[in-house]
Amino acid sequence: MEVTFKDVSLSYDGTREILHHLNFTIPEGTLVSILGPSGCGKSTTLMLISGLLAPTKGQIFFGDQDVTKQDALARKVGMVFQNYALYPHLTVLENIMFPLKMAKVKKEERREKALKLAKLVHVDDQLDKKPGALSGGQQQRVAIARALAKEPSLLLLDEPLSNLDARLRIEMRQEIRRIQQETGVTTIFVTHDQDEALHISDHIMVLNLGDIQQFSSAETLYDNPSNLFVAKFIGEPVINTLPITAFGHDLDGAVPAAILAKTQTVGIRPEALQDHPIDTGTLAQITTQVKAFEKYGREKNALVDYNGNELLSTEIQGRLENHQDLTLYLQKSGFYLFDEAGQRIFGGEQDVE
Amino acid sequence: MKVKVAMVLRYVILVLGAIIMLMPFLWMVSTSLKTQPETVKIPPIWIPKQLQWANYVEAFKAAPFARYFLNSVLVTTITTAGQLFTSILAAFAFSRLNFYGKNIIFVIFLGTMMVPGEMLIIPNFVTLSKFHMIDTYWALIVPWLASFFTVFTLKQNFQSVPDQLYYAAKIDGASDWHFLWHVLVPISKSTITAVTVLQVIGSWNAFMWPLIVTNTENLRTLPVGLQAFTTDAGTNYALLMAASTFVILPMVILYIFLQKYIIAGISKTGLKG
Ligand SMILES: Nc1ncnc2c1ncn2[C@@H]1O[C@H](COP(=O)(O)OP(=O)(O)OP(=O)(O)O)[C@@H](O)[C@H]1O
Ligand SMILES: [Mg+2]
Repeated sequence: MEVTFKDVSLSYDGTREILHHLNFTIPEGTLVSILGPSGCGKSTTLMLISGLLAPTKGQIFFGDQDVTKQDALARKVGMVFQNYALYPHLTVLENIMFPLKMAKVKKEERREKALKLAKLVHVDDQLDKKPGALSGGQQQRVAIARALAKEPSLLLLDEPLSNLDARLRIEMRQEIRRIQQETGVTTIFVTHDQDEALHISDHIMVLNLGDIQQFSSAETLYDNPSNLFVAKFIGEPVINTLPITAFGHDLDGAVPAAILAKTQTVGIRPEALQDHPIDTGTLAQITTQVKAFEKYGREKNALVDYNGNELLSTEIQGRLENHQDLTLYLQKSGFYLFDEAGQRIFGGEQDVE
Repeated sequence: MKVKVAMVLRYVILVLGAIIMLMPFLWMVSTSLKTQPETVKIPPIWIPKQLQWANYVEAFKAAPFARYFLNSVLVTTITTAGQLFTSILAAFAFSRLNFYGKNIIFVIFLGTMMVPGEMLIIPNFVTLSKFHMIDTYWALIVPWLASFFTVFTLKQNFQSVPDQLYYAAKIDGASDWHFLWHVLVPISKSTITAVTVLQVIGSWNAFMWPLIVTNTENLRTLPVGLQAFTTDAGTNYALLMAASTFVILPMVILYIFLQKYIIAGISKTGLKG
């Protein structure tokens, strides 16, 4: 099911607006992540899609149909909540069967379907337990099975993996991806973990303070961040940022003067700082002092000081001594300039979204 | 050593408390087995010379207790069930639904809890007489079909259930009605049991109201029936206590069986009965 938001705003109390004029389309059959820091409005956005909340302003469409006025009962989506929200008085099997019972599915069929789903999420050995007797991960999987039970055309997941251990989390996210691809169900996956979003989704919507920062593929987010927030939020290790004033005349000639004049902040990805020049990609060079040099296996990192700013480089080839001078070559890919409002005005591909 | 002393002291206090609470019951049972002269003997005696089991037979025959018993069961069952039903619905509305004037209505209802029950006797009597309900079963039942204390207790409990569970039920296709009876009520089992038992005991023991609104022998409930032992010639304490014993026996049994729920339910809401 294609989901479209047209100028949707939301305020819980009528005074403070939580979401501001959201406009987006989630294409049918894709898996989209909503990524953003805590409190930015991710859960609220999901509640709007599910119909549990009505927008203060704007319209919501499923396909061509305006569902703004429909409640959750009518929209028929599947949803996994941040804290599972399993029915504590029902067993695992009964929990999974609950939506089927509501849909008046026959008893034997209900059971059969629920068993199949329990197997899919690996809780088929826990069927008679109550949720209170399950681990966090098991509860989460039961919640996923319950959400899938009525074969929804839209599956909403609110940080479904946040309580799993690292190994299970990776396993489950592949599992979710597999289920999504097998069933073709349009899936919206909320997370504050960029790694999770990058691995699982076709498209990522980055949200901050109730505004969409960027909505694109993982690759585009990384290569062409549309603003400083996205550049800082996506990427591990985090992008180096420093004020343009630190550069003095180092960028003269490399960047048009008109753009330099508007620039406030410079962002350089750690892999775009190299200790060796490359003919095609090098934009400029800077002189720095090594503060710390680290070598982990194949990887060599250097923490350097550049006119009072700390920069991290992950592209060191030579051996370095602390306090030595080091010339670093800025690579064009991974070098961005942002204006006063934080918008990208240089670097990456121009005019991307 | 210090810990041990504190421990002993704590148990001594608890045992003393228990004895004080049990004293009236023990006295009741003891008196019910005495002869008439023994009941007024000074100094009082705790264990009668000869246990007068016959008092029970005589007490039961002294008035139509079978009929009273039937009335008590009927009135208690209907008022408790009715009150529970209305209270569950009201508590759901106050805890989950948004409607115009919700807070004001709630505050007004809360205010009614401050009014002592005795003050309501006269207005209730007047109202019921206007409806010609005095001296019928209606009079015994209708005023007790709603209780804000129960509404309040249940509302507190319903509110402690996370919103997400309500949302999950919505998503799963459950109506408010279904969510209430198939999710919220089973989850709140212990509190509901507690308020039910409190109501049953209150209803079973009610004396003043049934006495005032009934004249007909056939409508009397057990506590009112106990008056049979007080006549112009004085009170027959032995028979009265024997009858009292069998009147409260069902409540004692009920309490013993359900005390686990009652204590859990009451401590959960932070309210006393
Ligand atoms: N029921 C509510 N009433 C009023 N304000 C709310 C309510 N629910 C959420 N908010 C506010 O809305 C904002 C967004 O909340 P939301 O739960 O959507 O954040 P989130 O992105 O899901 O965060 P997290 O990652 O912590 O779950 C927050 O500032 C929060 O305080
Ligand atoms: Mg959230």
